[in-house]
Amino acid sequence: MIGFELSDDQKQIQALARNFVKDNVTPVAAQHDRDETYPATVVEAAHEVGLLNVSVPEAVGGLGLSMLDEAIIGEEFGYGCMGIYTILMASELGIMPLLLAATPEQQQRFLAPLVEGPRLAAFALSEPNNGSDAGGLRTRAVFDGDEIVITGTKTWISNGGVADFSVVFASFDPALKHKGTVAVVVESDRPGLSTNKLHGKLGQRASPTYEMVFDDVRVPISNMLGQQGDGFKIAMRTLDKTRIPVAAGAVGVLRRALDESSKYANEREAFGRPIGQFQAIQFKLANMKIALETARLQTWYAAWLADNDKPHAEAAAIAKAYASDSAFDAAQEAINVFGGYGYMNEYPVEKLMRDVKLNQIYEGTNEIQRVVIARHVLQ
Amino acid sequence: MKLITVLKQVPDAEARIRAGSGGVDLDGVTFVIDGMDEYGVEEAIRLREAGNDVEIVALALGPARYEEAIRTALALGADRAIHVETDTDLDPISQARVLAQVVQHEGADMVLVGGKQADWDSAALGPALAEVLGWPHSDWTTKLELAGANVTVEHDTDDGHESLTMPLPAVITTQQGLNEPRYPTLPNIMKAKRKELAKRSLDEFGAGSGLTQIVDQQIQTRERLGKMVEGDPATAAAELVRLLQNEAKVL
Repeated sequence: MIGFELSDDQKQIQALARNFVKDNVTPVAAQHDRDETYPATVVEAAHEVGLLNVSVPEAVGGLGLSMLDEAIIGEEFGYGCMGIYTILMASELGIMPLLLAATPEQQQRFLAPLVEGPRLAAFALSEPNNGSDAGGLRTRAVFDGDEIVITGTKTWISNGGVADFSVVFASFDPALKHKGTVAVVVESDRPGLSTNKLHGKLGQRASPTYEMVFDDVRVPISNMLGQQGDGFKIAMRTLDKTRIPVAAGAVGVLRRALDESSKYANEREAFGRPIGQFQAIQFKLANMKIALETARLQTWYAAWLADNDKPHAEAAAIAKAYASDSAFDAAQEAINVFGGYGYMNEYPVEKLMRDVKLNQIYEGTNEIQRVVIARHVLQ
Repeated sequence: MKLITVLKQVPDAEARIRAGSGGVDLDGVTFVIDGMDEYGVEEAIRLREAGNDVEIVALALGPARYEEAIRTALALGADRAIHVETDTDLDPISQARVLAQVVQHEGADMVLVGGKQADWDSAALGPALAEVLGWPHSDWTTKLELAGANVTVEHDTDDGHESLTMPLPAVITTQQGLNEPRYPTLPNIMKAKRKELAKRSLDEFGAGSGLTQIVDQQIQTRERLGKMVEGDPATAAAELVRLLQNEAKVL
């Protein structure tokens, strides 16, 4: 059986997210982009209506929403501002390792507070000299009695300096490579942890991105997720799921590019008629629509697989790579539809291109997605 | 005390509606709870939040798709809902006769309903409901306060507004300015699933097929003259006045 109808709940969730974004996100997106400022009031408002940290399980007081629910919400936020969505998305990314590997006690301790206020989680994997090669971590974790001592530097960490905690991946034995890694929850107030906000991003400038420096940061061993050696596995299983919201956000950007372009194509006249009557423009709009429908279907399919505990790594990689690549193409074609106006930040389309560029890079570059896909093809 | 909020589901104001010779084509259109009715739901919730002991019942008469709008009302804060399900298009008077039976059976103290229904732009439902029930009513209400067994309201008139007081039970029609409706929060959307939504059949109410039947629908088109008045401003203004007086005969 195949069903393409959203449930009543999902329609309500979609309507809520759409209205919320229209009223709270879209109007402030350009300003936060220009000023590179953190939209605290948006995060607070999202918490108020329950759109923040939606994957926190019901058992610890959350809503326990599904990946498909999250994809529906992600598309709406991506439509309004991909940068602002990254704040919410990165928090769900920080939650995912706990959904996969935390004990009930750990979930209670770390996740329950996330639904009590506008609080965030973060996921700290990338390092200055280590991105795609996640097995080659240089951050060290030393087991010392009932404590773990962490030393090293993480970078490109979304929410790193504003989150309540980060899930930090570190190596306790570099010789063991992947099998020498651990995932550890590090609360932000641990002595020895410092964070620096990174400036000068091309896009997604509302989303705060940090460098995190760990200088002999001690956490109790009860903060470790899973067992010694599980770190890499937890990170990969996390990303296999959280690439789906990255795709969903890109679908939102794509939809915005199409909406803005078609509106402009109906209004703007050249040679005595609206430019939408020229095939040169029509083909661009049609290509955006083709990409929008297919990207959304693949994203929802990957989410459905994840929600039904079926293998989803390949489908998520396809969704992430396809949605973000085609959203980038659509955004830059939207600039072409707008011509000179599209190049100005007075109009919304240049931001779409700058923002969605990052969807092609984070949570595994699209090159890495293709490696994942090819590995499945060649199996 | 029991409050009934009557609601309709209408096309989203931002939806693109296609209209042709056969009437309005609603295929693929997004539907939402009528914004005018949402003010009533919000007001009922505010009366509860103000410390009044109230039960809020959402009531709707319409096709199966109305269930989404009813769920929205439950997610906003209604305690339970009654859906009289039918595909028959009933005129407002006939609707009022059906809804009044439910209102009486429930023994409600107040009915809140939108001042105007956004689909057919009719403002008749609230007053018709008051008429059938024999209750006092306030239309286009912008302010509402409970005072013992009475309700005090302000409502718009052509030139301003007036204040009224009337005994309960009463029918209140709502509009913009009464309040600012909240979003249904995600936790409340999830909780709404577990709230009672009672289904009733139109056959139970002896409504028949209504008092009026739609026999034809036409799209209103206006031919424009496209006449441009030229010349310097003083001459153009004089010419415009002459045209309005002699040709359009509106002055």
